[in-house]
Amino acid sequence: MLVDRLLRQGAITELVGPLSSGRTSVVTLCLRAITRRGALAALVDVDHAFDPASAAEAGVDLRRLLWVRSEGRRRAALKAVDLLARCPGFALVALDVGESPPRLPLSAAFRLRQAARRSRIAILVVGARRVVGGAATLSLQTRRDGLAWLGPHHVPRRLAGMRTGLQVLRKQGAPARVESERLWWTA
Amino acid sequence: MVDGVSRMACVRVEALAAAALERCEPSLREQPLAVVTGTPPAKRVVEANARARAEGVHPGLTEAEAVVRCPALVRRAAFAEAEAAARHALLEACLSVSPRLEDAAAGVVHVDLRGLRRLYGSDDEVGRRLRRQARAVGLDARVGIGASRAAAAVAARVGPPVHVLPTATERAALAAIPLTTLEWSEELGATFARWGLVTLGDLAALPRHGVGARLGPRGLAAHDLATGVDRAPFRPWSPPPCWEDAQGLDWEIATLPALVPVLQGVLERLLARLTLAHLVVDALDVRLALASGGHHARSLALAVPLGEVAPIVALLALELESHPPAVAVTGVALSAHVVARPTAPGGLWQPPVPAPRDLATVLARLTRLVGPANVGSPVVVDSYRPDDHVLAPFDGGARASDTAPERPQDHDAATETAAPGPNAAGQLALRRLRPPRRVEVDTHDGRPRRVRDPLGLDAAVEICAGPWRSSGHWWDTDAWACDEWDVELSDHIICRLAHDRLTHTWLLTAVYD
Repeated sequence: MLVDRLLRQGAITELVGPLSSGRTSVVTLCLRAITRRGALAALVDVDHAFDPASAAEAGVDLRRLLWVRSEGRRRAALKAVDLLARCPGFALVALDVGESPPRLPLSAAFRLRQAARRSRIAILVVGARRVVGGAATLSLQTRRDGLAWLGPHHVPRRLAGMRTGLQVLRKQGAPARVESERLWWTA
Repeated sequence: MVDGVSRMACVRVEALAAAALERCEPSLREQPLAVVTGTPPAKRVVEANARARAEGVHPGLTEAEAVVRCPALVRRAAFAEAEAAARHALLEACLSVSPRLEDAAAGVVHVDLRGLRRLYGSDDEVGRRLRRQARAVGLDARVGIGASRAAAAVAARVGPPVHVLPTATERAALAAIPLTTLEWSEELGATFARWGLVTLGDLAALPRHGVGARLGPRGLAAHDLATGVDRAPFRPWSPPPCWEDAQGLDWEIATLPALVPVLQGVLERLLARLTLAHLVVDALDVRLALASGGHHARSLALAVPLGEVAPIVALLALELESHPPAVAVTGVALSAHVVARPTAPGGLWQPPVPAPRDLATVLARLTRLVGPANVGSPVVVDSYRPDDHVLAPFDGGARASDTAPERPQDHDAATETAAPGPNAAGQLALRRLRPPRRVEVDTHDGRPRRVRDPLGLDAAVEICAGPWRSSGHWWDTDAWACDEWDVELSDHIICRLAHDRLTHTWLLTAVYD
């Protein structure tokens, strides 16, 4: 399963990509897999961008999801992730840093990884560019590979779906089976 | 004891007001203590503990007289809330042994022992258990057991701390008890002495109607006590929905670090009572008596029910740090809303979840960090209004625990079958813009052609699909009506535009990602 290849207990996975590249869909896929297994997930949302309706439609069990909104305060978001990373019992802590994230100091990133390792929590950092640096065990980049509309080209009836390409940027200690691949999302 | 035969226990705490203060300050047990009330110089002793009574201090003395009789006497003002808490604590301790009990008076509880033999064994065992449970909530009680409440009440006043009247010879055992060992009013005691009565047997031998005619209701009550006959019906006691404990202070506390140990002491006593009843705290009300005469009240809703002192004290300290009392504190009262203690943490095959204590602490810290409106579990509102959702308190998946989680192999199968396309990984997600960004849109034949805004967005619409029209609450002040479009812009962003039909404005509401 893709999610098991992306996430690892006690490690940080970083997902970067521009808007409309499918990175939020990958996060939603991870949240779905975790919550449907009966485990708990937390999402720290810097830009207040998470859409519960589309997540529920994608199959995320919202009752097992803790949503923390930092209302644009990135320092508060990092503190929230640090608190959650020290609370054993969450299977996944996702941090959506948004569109203009500042780079995390290397020492803070490694402390976060150490906390996640002790608590055996998988951490997923998603944003427009890399912020965790060398502390990430796996870094992936999303790019849009295709878009499909239903109906005639000049007056399409609706958006049918989107194809996302996943490219491995960094793989340190991650399983060898993590490779670049393509994902198809239905709208 | 034979099941089916009536056996009653009387659990009695001497001088409850003094015992309540000793419960709050355990060091007072080693000293002669008097509870005083009134204003100087008319302060009078209303209760005294055993050490003080041994020194000749008894209720009714003035404070000055009491100090003369016992120079080492410790005096404390009566604190009604602490006494009420001690009374309830005794009732709850007895409730953990038998479900049927009666609140006879302050510090006196009658317990119906019928059917307890199979659970706890003989009368002695039950008596010892009652005494142990009372001690667990900080009260030293005497226990008497007999065939009736009256007989048990007499047994609780004399003899060993756990005094069981034998079933076969109960009347004889009662008859041998001297009248002077029981507490009578001064007038009644003098009358008994004048009549030449020495033991309860002498009083029981008198005709009841004759005693009633001469001594009135008090005489009748004394005669019933001597004969061991219950005349009044049993009034069962049921626990209140809120459990309270309190402590008064003889000094004023102005700082939070000094107040926390007091709160901890009160909470420890409260949780000891809850533990006996297999309950945990769901919410807590704090009421601080202030030196100004007013009160400072705070409510603490716990994210998950807790039964441990340390995390609740930490949460209380955080709450009072955020909302400190205006002036110094002279009394502390806690009132707990309780729920039944969960029997098991979760299913055998369920993944691990955070310990309630850890989760509560983390949620409290997160709430403090980002505000209570920004932490919780999202709930989609059943509405057609776009992006209509609320945040519910996060309970660690307790609400979801009634639905069985998918096993990994089930999940794989579900992914395959539920996937809309042959190779679809999942659903395309939306990123919301909150609040929606107001944009200017050029249209052609009613379809968006170009999108721009003052922040620098200026892009042509490559492809668009729509509109999807929705409206609601037209009968109310928060009516809404909009047309939504999915558009691909020339800068490769796929977004959702909404045309508000009430204000005729265009909004960028979300981005597909």
